[in-house]
Amino acid sequence: MKQELINLLRADCDKSLAGDEESLDVLRDQSILITGGTGFVGKWITEAVSLLNQKYNFNIKLYILARNIQEYKEEVPHLARQPFINLIEQDVRNISNLPEEIGYIIHAAGSPDNRKHATNPLKTIDTIYRGTHALLDACLRLPNLNKVVHLSSNSVYGQLPDQHYAIKESQMGALDCNSVNAAYSEGKRLAETVCAIYRNQQKLPIIIARPFAFIGPYQGLEKPWAINNFIRDGILGGPIRILGNEETVRSYLYGSDLAFWLLKILANGKTGSTYNLGGEQAISLKDLAAKITSNFSQKIDVLVRYSKQYPPNPSVSIPDTTHIKSELKVKQVFDFDTSLKKTIDWYKKIHQ
Amino acid sequence: MKHILISDPTLRDGNHAVAHQLSAKQVAIYCQAADKALVPIIEVGHGNGLGASSLQVGESLETDEVLLSTAKANLNKSKLGIHVIPGFATIQRDLKRAIEIGVDVIRVASHCTEADITQRHLGYSREKGKETYGVLMMSHMAPTELLVEEAQKMELYGAEGIIIMDSAGAYLPTDVAERISALVEGLSVPVGFHGHNNLGFGIANSIEAINSGATMLDGTARGFGAGAGNAQIEVLVAVLQKMGYTTGIDLYKILDAADIAEREIMPLIPVIKSESIISGLAGVFSGFSKHVARISKEYNVDQRDVYFELGRRKVVAGQEDLIIEVVLDLVKKKKK
Repeated sequence: MKQELINLLRADCDKSLAGDEESLDVLRDQSILITGGTGFVGKWITEAVSLLNQKYNFNIKLYILARNIQEYKEEVPHLARQPFINLIEQDVRNISNLPEEIGYIIHAAGSPDNRKHATNPLKTIDTIYRGTHALLDACLRLPNLNKVVHLSSNSVYGQLPDQHYAIKESQMGALDCNSVNAAYSEGKRLAETVCAIYRNQQKLPIIIARPFAFIGPYQGLEKPWAINNFIRDGILGGPIRILGNEETVRSYLYGSDLAFWLLKILANGKTGSTYNLGGEQAISLKDLAAKITSNFSQKIDVLVRYSKQYPPNPSVSIPDTTHIKSELKVKQVFDFDTSLKKTIDWYKKIHQ
Repeated sequence: MKHILISDPTLRDGNHAVAHQLSAKQVAIYCQAADKALVPIIEVGHGNGLGASSLQVGESLETDEVLLSTAKANLNKSKLGIHVIPGFATIQRDLKRAIEIGVDVIRVASHCTEADITQRHLGYSREKGKETYGVLMMSHMAPTELLVEEAQKMELYGAEGIIIMDSAGAYLPTDVAERISALVEGLSVPVGFHGHNNLGFGIANSIEAINSGATMLDGTARGFGAGAGNAQIEVLVAVLQKMGYTTGIDLYKILDAADIAEREIMPLIPVIKSESIISGLAGVFSGFSKHVARISKEYNVDQRDVYFELGRRKVVAGQEDLIIEVVLDLVKKKKK
């Protein structure tokens, strides 16, 4: 990766930290494990820790556990070669003994790619369930464990009766357990239950974080989410294709903001709490496509393709972040327009 | 006024009817005619799609490279489409090259219960910015609920629309209505129908699909295609026009294109022969017809018995080698 791009990531992290490094003091000289640490979340946390270590002397040691370390080394050598990083190549389902010095854990294993869920539903459930079970069992043998943050999913909320409003952590809707993409949502619900059991019966210090949608570098444009596909289509010169209901509403949080929100949960979150993670600025797919086209100098067409007329109430999936903001004082530093521009500029540079 | 997107696989499905022997010259002639008629998408290639030329399913007269380059050179307004069955077509060897040649529309197909195999090809096509559809072949072989789930997988993989094929010409209009309605309800992306004419329902089933919510249809000139042939594009255009739909296709010029196709590329115009009726009743892929006729004749067995046995065994496209096994079994039974 070019130094110019690495510098941009570093600058984003510094801006998201916003001079609030004191709130993370508890993480100084600690060892943190990130399972599934080679994905979008893991890479951004590693960038954030890299900043904390190099600029603010936090002396954090990171353990990154994932199935394919080689790919990670090739993709982000500037992270992989950092002296504070220890890479562990292992399937999360096979975790047994972890380094005893680990005091904090972010459990981010399990791909959110719904194409994989549809193709390998049993493996999806197996990885989420057995991975969580194996990790928490291993946690019982860690002498200095302070906190485990389990990264769940907004999909656990299911279908709420009225989705016109931002979703609070206390709201739970219905899931169609027979649908082709049920494996991930049901698996994540099951994993939250497993976490609750370990917290209740084994007194493990577990917190649940429910991520919504994100934006930024490290989110591959081949991933099957509307915003990625729209940006990719824009870079290819269009047309941008909206598939389904163009009034569908989502919100997005930038990668470096996400990293510090998670680190703040790790440092200061309360055991047993659940926190939503995501942006609050609601945007429809139609408006999203329009904003993306405005970031390109050439004219880009937008096509809408759908099977039927949709009911007047579109699907809305945005988080109510009151809880995390009031309790942990996190801020969305990058608003949506800035996040979008930064992301598009990043990918334009990559594709140059 | 509702718009229907028409794809024309005369130069792909029609290749089944001539044992994949369409020449570059014929491709050029029909492409020019269909392009003048403003047919939105013209699908070109071996009958079983990109990379399928083989001893097993029949070798093409021309390579994919020649077929696609020729078509591309003769299309101005129409988009060039390909039919891609993962397994026959690989990404690195076939799909990448087809995109370099200038293919605009990629329809990734699988047997109706095997959508899982299309994930990488659909993903690759979308990554390259191509108009990308999922196609479920032999769709009569899956119960409606399963068909919807397989289509939902293709939608998750990135398909911009899902087309179901009545590859055996086995549907009655009520079958089409049931499946298309369920697909429209279960999917976010547009739904299409590709009809065959074994039971004489090529056009009727296509119209039933539209009445049930489909917005994409396939049709070929004079119905040129496997077995009893396909829904006839010039009839489709005329009927849709009469019903008040738009297709963007010039009626006179598609009629001209069909006349040209009849004269220049068809040794015989498809008709519903006796064996095609049996093939439709038995639910056997129309692309089997030439192989069944040839092998049945060689071993002196009644090809109607062969079709029913193939139907009982639930054979699918790509299993052409099973025909000889079935025929030999019938020969053994006859001897007893």
